[in-house]
Amino acid sequence: MGYKTIEADAIQFQIEADDWEEAIRKTAMPLVKQQKVLPEYVEEMIRVVKTEGPYFVIMKHVAMPHAKAECGALETAVSLATLRNPVYFGHKNDPVKYIICLSSVNGEEHLQNISRIADLLGKEDFFQVLDTTSNKDVVCKFFNQ
Amino acid sequence: MYKFLVACRAGVGSSLILKIKMIQVIEENQLPITIEHTNLDGVAGFDGDVIFTLSDVAEELKAEYPNRYIVGVQNIVDKVQLLKDMQDFLNTRQVD
Repeated sequence: MGYKTIEADAIQFQIEADDWEEAIRKTAMPLVKQQKVLPEYVEEMIRVVKTEGPYFVIMKHVAMPHAKAECGALETAVSLATLRNPVYFGHKNDPVKYIICLSSVNGEEHLQNISRIADLLGKEDFFQVLDTTSNKDVVCKFFNQ
Repeated sequence: MYKFLVACRAGVGSSLILKIKMIQVIEENQLPITIEHTNLDGVAGFDGDVIFTLSDVAEELKAEYPNRYIVGVQNIVDKVQLLKDMQDFLNTRQVD
């Protein structure tokens, strides 16, 4: 308890992105700004899609980009964005409206983040809130309670 | 007890969530299954029964390991489908 999975400034609503690549870059931007990941970590998430496919489109409308820690992760962290216009990854779960970027260097914190996300992804009201709120603290509460 | 492997490319994100959901399904339904977890490098050395992974990774693994029982998951939080996938395998092993 008390541990924060996501910070308010890592959340963005209704961002504009022309394609999946821009969507990942914009979602990950707060992590770069807060020095949770190096810029090359973001490039690695994009490279993975291009070379290995968009496997991290894990359910309808949701992509969860991440890369290996050694590719420029500095801290364990999560960022989230909703998209004004959905983007297409070329995956059965397209179109993608929600993007959650992960970075992991600390196994224990990461596991806590992952289990909270696993919980949230199964909740319909979580997505309803993402669609309707513009209050970052409300979304934080979902993650951090 | 049957041994299932959950695998994905990096082994740090998608497959961890999948593992959590599968363990919930196994416990809720008291299925005779244990779960291991790895990245793709660990697949070759796996000596258990079934490999669960994300749908597009599954296509690749099926080509590489044609004799293995491999399940591709499209929605990693769809516990109803996960239960069905597990029961499908168990049904192949329960001879009446």
